[in-house]
Amino acid sequence: MSTIRDKLREYRTAGYYTEFEYHWTMAVDLDRCTGCEACVVACQAENNLPIVGEKLMRQGREMKWLRIERYWDGEYPNARLNFIPMLCQHCDEAPCEIACPVFATYHNQDGLNAQVYNRCIGTRTCAVYCPYEVRFFNWFTYTWDEPLEQQLNPDVTVREKGVMEKCTFCVQRINRAKDLARDEDRRVADGEAQPACAQACPTDAIVFGDRNDPESAVSRKLEDPRAYSVLEELNTHPSVVYLKNARKPLAGGADDDHHGDESDSRASREGARPTWERGHDPRSGPALREGETPSLQTQQADTVA
Amino acid sequence: MSIGVFEAARSVIKGLIIAVLAIIGAYIGHWAHGAILNDYTPVQPIEFSHEVHAGENEIPCEYCHSWAGRSATAGVPSVETCVGCHKGLTEVRDKPDVVKLFDYWERGEGIPWVKVHDTPDFVHFRHKPHIRGGVECQTCHGPVEEMARVTRRVDLNENLRMPWCIDCHTEEDVANGRDCLTCHY
Repeated sequence: MSTIRDKLREYRTAGYYTEFEYHWTMAVDLDRCTGCEACVVACQAENNLPIVGEKLMRQGREMKWLRIERYWDGEYPNARLNFIPMLCQHCDEAPCEIACPVFATYHNQDGLNAQVYNRCIGTRTCAVYCPYEVRFFNWFTYTWDEPLEQQLNPDVTVREKGVMEKCTFCVQRINRAKDLARDEDRRVADGEAQPACAQACPTDAIVFGDRNDPESAVSRKLEDPRAYSVLEELNTHPSVVYLKNARKPLAGGADDDHHGDESDSRASREGARPTWERGHDPRSGPALREGETPSLQTQQADTVA
Repeated sequence: MSIGVFEAARSVIKGLIIAVLAIIGAYIGHWAHGAILNDYTPVQPIEFSHEVHAGENEIPCEYCHSWAGRSATAGVPSVETCVGCHKGLTEVRDKPDVVKLFDYWERGEGIPWVKVHDTPDFVHFRHKPHIRGGVECQTCHGPVEEMARVTRRVDLNENLRMPWCIDCHTEEDVANGRDCLTCHY
C-alpha cells in the first residue's frame, strides 16, 4: 500500500518521467546569435509580459522570460563580446520542481517544465533553487495603458500579483500544433510548433523541435560537437542546448584555454561562465594594469558596447 | 462594587471580534451563494429565446455558434446573422425584442450579450477538441433548447468548476487529460 508520503516521494523524485511523448528541445547556436534581442521582444509580446518600468527594474524585479546575457572575451582594446540567450532550461531533473511545496511546478509528459499559475502560492522557493535565474515573481498586478491592453495574447494567462512565472516554451503554440495534428491523426511535424523567439530570430540561431524525432532539425543540431549545456556539472539535464561560439581566438590570448581544445569537456562548460570566471578575474590583481581600479575597467568595457 | 476598566475592555474586544467574524462569514456566504451554490441566469440586453430558436424551430447550434467545431471559442453570432433571417420574417417584425434587434442593426452596434458560461482567465477551455471527441453541447451547457433565458445550472455542471472537468477527463480516459498544461497556461 502506498501512503501519501510514498506518493509524495515518488512525485518529488527528479526525472519522474523516464521517457517523454515529445521531448521539446531548443538548440541555440551562439555562433549565429548577434544579440539583436528580437527574441526578447517577441517573447514579451507573445506571453503578455509587463513592462515593469525603470524603478522596479533597478530593484531587480524585471520580467523577462528570455534575456540576452553578455560576456566579454579579452581585455580592452582587444575585447570581444559574446551573447548567450538565457531562458528557462526546462531541465529534466529540475531543482525548482523539487522545491515547490504545492506542486505548482512539475514536469509533464512532453518534457516541459510546467508552471501552474492558479496553483502557485508564491513562496518563491523555486526561484531560489533555480541555478539559471530565469524565474520571475509578480510583485504587483501589472496593468497595461489604454491601447496596449488590446494587444494582449488571449491564449496566455495575464498573471496576477503573487505568482511565479517563467518561459513555457510557448506551450500555447505547442498545444495548438498538437491540436491540428490530432485532427489528421498524426504526430506534430518538425517545425510546426515554434516558440515566438525561434520564429522571430533573424539568423535562425534558435531552433526548436522534438528530440525524440531523430530527423528533426534540433536533433541534428544536438549531434554537433559544439553542443553543450549551461552549468552541466549540476546534472539538471537542460532541454536547452547551446552550440559553442567557434570563432578565432583573440590575439590577446585571454580566452585561449576556452577555444583551445574542443573535446575538453571542462572547456566546453566554461563557455557559459562569465568572463571574469574563466579568463582572468578583474577583482584579483594580475589582470589589472597599474593605476586602474576594477570599476574603471568595467566602465571601459561598457564604453565599447 | 465595580468592574475594572481592563475587564470591561476585554469583553468589548471579544464582542468586536465576534462581530467582525460574523460580517466576514456573511460576505463569504453571500459570495458562495451567488457564485457557486446557485444557478446563474443573467438578464440579456435582448430577450433572445433559445427555446424558440433551437427548440421549436430546430436550428442547429452550429448554425449560429459556427466556430465551435473549428476553434477554441464557440463564438456569438454577429447582428448580421440575426438580421439575415429576420429580414424575411415579417410576421415577427413587430415583437419588441425584434424591434430592439433592428435598432442595434440600424445603429451599426454589436449587442452587448452577457456571458453565462464563463471560465477564469487561467483556464483555456477549447471547444474544438470537445466537439471532435463527440461531446454534446448539452453536456456542459444543459438543455439550452428548453431555456427561454440561458441558465448555468449548478446541479448539472457544478458551475464549471475543475473537479467536474477532471471527473469527465478521467472517465473518458482523455489523452493527457489530467496534465495541468492541457488547460492552464
